[in-house]
Amino acid sequence: MLKKIMICLAVLVSFSSCVAVKEYEKININDPDMKLSANSIDRFETNFQVYREGSSGANGGKTGGGCGCN
Amino acid sequence: MKKALIIFSLLIVTISNAQEKDSTSTYKKRVLETIEVDFLMSYYTQEGKHASVTGGIGDEKLTDLTPTLIIAYPLNSDDILTVDAGISAYSSASSSNLNPFNGDDDDDDDDNIIPPNGVTGSPWVESSGASGGDVWGNVSVNYSHSSDNRNNIWSANVGFATEYDYTSIGFGGGFSKLFNEKNTEVGIKAQVYLDTWSPKYPKEIRAFLDDGENYNSEFFNSVDVLNQAGQIIDKNGTDVWSPFNSTLIKDKGRNSYSVSLSFSQILSKNAQFSVFLDLVQQDGWLSNPMQRVYFGDRDNYYIGNAANIPNYTSPTNIDVFQLADDIERLPDTRFKIPVGARFNYYINEVFVLRTYYRYYFDDWGINSHTASIELPIKFASGKFTFYPTYRYYTQTAADYFAPYEENVSTSIYYTSDYDLSKFNSNQYGVGFKYTDIFAKFKIYKFGLKSVDLKYGYYDRSDGLNSNIFSAGFKFVMD
Repeated sequence: MLKKIMICLAVLVSFSSCVAVKEYEKININDPDMKLSANSIDRFETNFQVYREGSSGANGGKTGGGCGCN
Repeated sequence: MKKALIIFSLLIVTISNAQEKDSTSTYKKRVLETIEVDFLMSYYTQEGKHASVTGGIGDEKLTDLTPTLIIAYPLNSDDILTVDAGISAYSSASSSNLNPFNGDDDDDDDDNIIPPNGVTGSPWVESSGASGGDVWGNVSVNYSHSSDNRNNIWSANVGFATEYDYTSIGFGGGFSKLFNEKNTEVGIKAQVYLDTWSPKYPKEIRAFLDDGENYNSEFFNSVDVLNQAGQIIDKNGTDVWSPFNSTLIKDKGRNSYSVSLSFSQILSKNAQFSVFLDLVQQDGWLSNPMQRVYFGDRDNYYIGNAANIPNYTSPTNIDVFQLADDIERLPDTRFKIPVGARFNYYINEVFVLRTYYRYYFDDWGINSHTASIELPIKFASGKFTFYPTYRYYTQTAADYFAPYEENVSTSIYYTSDYDLSKFNSNQYGVGFKYTDIFAKFKIYKFGLKSVDLKYGYYDRSDGLNSNIFSAGFKFVMD
């Protein structure tokens, strides 16, 4: 599984050279709603989900530890 | 895992060498212009009928208030220091039933066994015990450094958290590399949590074991113990209750080690995506010593009103409590792999589409899928944003889960914690954001840059549901 993921990652990186949006063209990309992470107030939702669900991680929140949750 | 990390590191080095010439490196802008202060808070309420402290049945009512302050301080043009401090003040019907017999729950022997109204506890009634509420406190400090061309970012963090039965020390570090004219970013992060239990056990188990594994404690001297038929047992006889396992926590440590890999890519002027992979190893006491388990292959014993024993699993039972067979027992290691991806698309000046998906699996048998979508809608020239959200989640049960009275004593590991059961959930939300890039509204030297308000409703297929209100206020210093 891990090997497959790493291969996928390598493929993704190799594609990166295909696109180069210039800095002055990034006005839409730089919109606050376009950021590739959860909103800051979503941390509370992520917190209760970590407690109330069996899985966690891959979202910027805790992957385990720091609390008596999973 | 080591092989995978080596491949990933080589990939980063190769790419960084190939991308040395970057046309954006001529102008150096401060990473953070001024001090930013975020005040965040949430109010959470929950209802349910599968309390894990009372073995998978019982009231799960819970409320939680979490004020949080985040201060980001620019040390110079390249470095930022961020302090994140918050508390979580909660009250929980389930936790209160660590001692359901309406006494206090400190470690002395002054527990009030029989309250004036004669009610002696039930999984459906919140006890007045001290374990029913507490404050979790957390403070963490993060330092980040960006290179002159802003293509390399290093970070390090340290944190501390505490609550009445748990303390945690965390630290970690990360590195991100941007290249391809900042169209591509790869990152690696490592995090360690060294946690320690100050274990609290169900009242009846602690009373029995602390006094030489017999009925001579003050607690048991004060009450009658009933069998399934409602008859008072002879405490010196052979038909008596005792905990199945007299071994409690030996190793109070609980450690988590994680490595996170990330990759993000701008696809066009309007689209970008990212993928994340976490590898998480946990070891130590991974079960919660507060959580009771009742075995289907052992006799049942109670304290309270004999007439209500047949109604034990019904919320109409307000005055009889079943003595636990054991606390939950889970393996002392767990390996988790979540893989997530985000895709955001700028549709036009009004609409933005934000999506997220995660697949998760671990060696306890849990597999899960998470998908969420958010649609920010801007109006008044982007000053206001309304955003509806939806999240779907589904998971399989952990190998060790069984409902109340369905675990068996021949198992090595067992739990009736419904957070580890098979279920799916739907979460609906709406948010409202106000943004003033000029931060005209001032409080002392700080201008209000944005206000973010959000409401979410969470509905789990086992009957648990919750409401969460969140608010965030961002201030910037003049």
